[in-house]
Amino acid sequence: MYTTYKLTIAAIKMLVRNRQALFFTLIMPLFIMLIFGYIGFDKPQLIDVGLATSTPSAQTQAFIGQITQFPNFNIHQGSLESEQEQLNEGNRAVVLEAQGNTIIAYTNASKPEAQAVVSILNQFITSATLQQAHIAPLITVQTQEVNAHNLRYIEFLLPGLIALSIMQMSVFSVAFVFTQYKEKGVLKRLLATPMLPIQFVAANAITRLIVSVVQAMIFIVAGLVLFKVHVVGSYPLLLLCVVLGALMFLGLGFSISGVAKTTDSVPVFANLVVFPMMFLGGTFFAISSMPSWLQLIAKFLPLTYFSTAVREVMTKGSGLSVIWPDLLGMLVWCVILIGLATYTFRFQEREGA
Amino acid sequence: MKNIIEVKNLTKKYADFTAVNNISFEVKENEIFGILGPNGAGKTTTLEMMEGLKRPTSGTIVVDGFDVVHDPDEVKARIGVQLQASTFFESLSLVELIETFGAMYNRKVDAMQLLEEVQLTDKAKSQAKELSGGQRQRLSIAIGLVNDPSIIFLDEPTTGLDPQARRNLWDLIEQIKAKGKTVVITTHYMDEAEVLCDRVAIMDAGKIISLNSPRKLIEELLATGFSKPVVQQQASLEDVFLTMTGHALRD
Repeated sequence: MYTTYKLTIAAIKMLVRNRQALFFTLIMPLFIMLIFGYIGFDKPQLIDVGLATSTPSAQTQAFIGQITQFPNFNIHQGSLESEQEQLNEGNRAVVLEAQGNTIIAYTNASKPEAQAVVSILNQFITSATLQQAHIAPLITVQTQEVNAHNLRYIEFLLPGLIALSIMQMSVFSVAFVFTQYKEKGVLKRLLATPMLPIQFVAANAITRLIVSVVQAMIFIVAGLVLFKVHVVGSYPLLLLCVVLGALMFLGLGFSISGVAKTTDSVPVFANLVVFPMMFLGGTFFAISSMPSWLQLIAKFLPLTYFSTAVREVMTKGSGLSVIWPDLLGMLVWCVILIGLATYTFRFQEREGA
Repeated sequence: MKNIIEVKNLTKKYADFTAVNNISFEVKENEIFGILGPNGAGKTTTLEMMEGLKRPTSGTIVVDGFDVVHDPDEVKARIGVQLQASTFFESLSLVELIETFGAMYNRKVDAMQLLEEVQLTDKAKSQAKELSGGQRQRLSIAIGLVNDPSIIFLDEPTTGLDPQARRNLWDLIEQIKAKGKTVVITTHYMDEAEVLCDRVAIMDAGKIISLNSPRKLIEELLATGFSKPVVQQQASLEDVFLTMTGHALRD
């Protein structure tokens, strides 16, 4: 126990003092979070409408006044020539010019929202006309707003980033460090002590599990503070997901250092596995938006189970009854990858004959 | 003096060649035992089998009363090891490094005292990668001593060192012997073996071709009628070098 404890402390010191590893495990994913969080993919797109200075009648003037209040329009005012030029360059969907009681709408044929603007204008005019004629509409539409909690993109992204960064840290820090130990004869030196190899492996695994939990905490705190993200689920369940996820990727990391002969070949092996998962593992966009044949592969990836489970818990507050298939998937991957690691990873090269 | 190591009919075969071919020898308690031989003679393989790092194909090794194959952990607890390629963990200071290795023997060690024994106290806070070649070998020996072993194995500890560092290491090895420990050392340098070793085994092509004290080996050779043109030299070039540059360590 004393041995494993002291080895864990030493492993933590080594990991924390390694600036490069720290950069890739914390700074980089936080950067991604800030960039994607502030781009704000989920703000509704405003339609650019140009208003050319013109000679309106009192009626068209009032009408134009109403249009400028419309929340989905981004109104630009300018001379007819300059607005038309903007239209030609594709910076406006519609340019409106009032001539007496007529409104001329120059539309950009390639922009679908141009037609929407024209029909919105027609609707305005129709309802105004009906009102003036004191005719009640035949049918009325009653809208009732439901206060649904819409998932913002940052809320979708955050759980995915937690899973992604834990994957990166677990795979790369183990694969690099242990291949280096093997290559430089450090592991052989350790074999000359009465310590059991499993104690050393355990110390390093525990270290990385702790780092994974810290990573998850930093992301959640950053999300709460910077983006006012809602975390609805249970934290203990989240911890279970993080530990399971980190374990399977630690298995992957050790497998890679079992296969890689030199540190130069580590990024080759690691990226071969990790890189496709960055895009197929449900981090940046939902699996459901992929073509069905790709979904068939994507949904069985270790990162997909991990990010789905974390996302379910964080954004929907799902419990074990919902995420058990994902946890089971992670468990199966744990068995596969840790099994592979025990098969491939040795403290010493196998001796011929 | 009693035998602290007994090697009997030791053989190590790889798929296509025999690295160590049926060798037997004993190491006596508190002696400095040298294994000499050209590259590929099987010195390191022999050493690594004695350390429990490689499994013998056949034969037995008993170290301090324990069979290396059957009780490797008992043996490992009683020996200190310095490997040819001595790399250690990065990002740890020498003190932390020594303490970590102590923990592998389930021991709390006084790292500063060990560093003092190998004259590295001023480097206590440095990392292993910042050390010079000679300093790294001394660190390696300090780490080999964390478990206060009765036997220490040194694999070519002076290869690549400058004359000052080499002599300094000889002193260190003598000090280790003076503490009652047994030293098993491999080397390519005959002058080193002559100065340090109580007995040497000369290996070639996996076999021990001779084993005796350096003095006896020389007498044996002379008895065969060997002679070389005697040039009475009052000093060697190394004496010139050391007189001009001093014995003080340079790193």
